[in-house]
Amino acid sequence: MNDNLEHSFVKQLQENQNIIHKICRLYTNSDDAHKDLFQEITIQLWKAFPKFRGDSKFSTWAYRVALNTAITLYRKTKRSINTIEFEGRQHFLNDVEYDYEEEEQIKLMYKAVYQLNDIEKALIFMYLEDKDYQEISETLGISEVNARVKMNRIKGKLKKILNP
Amino acid sequence: MKELDLLKKDWNKNDNSFAQVSEIDIYKMIHKKSSSIVKWILIISILEVLLWTCLSVCFNSDDYLKTINHGELIQYFDVFTYFNYGVIVFFIYLFYKNYKTISTTVSTKQLMFDILKTRKTVQYYVWYNLAILVVSLIIGFIIAFVYNPEMSILKDKIASNGRVMAISIGFLIFTTLVFFGAFWLFYRILYGILLRRLYANYKELKKIDL
Repeated sequence: MNDNLEHSFVKQLQENQNIIHKICRLYTNSDDAHKDLFQEITIQLWKAFPKFRGDSKFSTWAYRVALNTAITLYRKTKRSINTIEFEGRQHFLNDVEYDYEEEEQIKLMYKAVYQLNDIEKALIFMYLEDKDYQEISETLGISEVNARVKMNRIKGKLKKILNP
Repeated sequence: MKELDLLKKDWNKNDNSFAQVSEIDIYKMIHKKSSSIVKWILIISILEVLLWTCLSVCFNSDDYLKTINHGELIQYFDVFTYFNYGVIVFFIYLFYKNYKTISTTVSTKQLMFDILKTRKTVQYYVWYNLAILVVSLIIGFIIAFVYNPEMSILKDKIASNGRVMAISIGFLIFTTLVFFGAFWLFYRILYGILLRRLYANYKELKKIDL
């Protein structure tokens, strides 16, 4: 593949890398796994890049490839999704001051999201990223109506986890 | 849901908290090898196809048939050999075609479906070879009994003694069962490890649309 293509890819990925970081944060539970998944997503994005026509935004296109990699292609034997290394992960919370109660609630919420399965996490991820139901349904390959129903169920599930 | 709104607020504020990967590191990454399950499936599938193709091509019955010296049988076996080559080529083509359709730019459900389909092609190929193997063994036994003069003593013995016959048949069935059992277990373990998560997620996605 030519250098121009490579350069264009690296530049756009560098600018949009937070999308990938967010997915890695959701689907991994250690810094090593985060880096590992980040690399695999980057490789998969690069492989698919020649097909990227530029008729949609790079970030929109990257969402699908990155999520597909995290849910379907990525394989890490030592992964255990339910173990949460919470304290060690500073980037969960911003430096901006919170009132303690709110900070605590957000922490609990992150913990609850971690307990969801891969597909539920994908829905929550796209919800947090402000994607509409049409895009959510197209990305996952489910119907729009059922995406809504599922989202409501996930909210219910999160509530249950928070208030057992 | 109040907590979810809070999370959303925090989620979008946190963009600058990730350690940024430099362009140089991204260059390095894209030249590294992928370790995705698709790659593992490809490697295992190629090994499987090679193994079975080798077995089926290398397993040469000509010499055996020559000792029996039965022209009609040799003709039948030639037809079968060509048919088998045709099937091998067809399977390899099908596998290649399915493998090529795997793309990360389609929907998650479609991607999973394509991966499982590719995997199934190889599975069918293995089943085909197993079936051929069993059929060959049975035909081999029959030919040995009917045409091979060396077997006539054994044949008489088995025919005259009901117990020897029962033991022979029992032994054959037992060997076949052990063979298939070991095979099945091997597959369960190998693909269980590799595809468990994929199957679970595929099932979960299908369940949403039920």
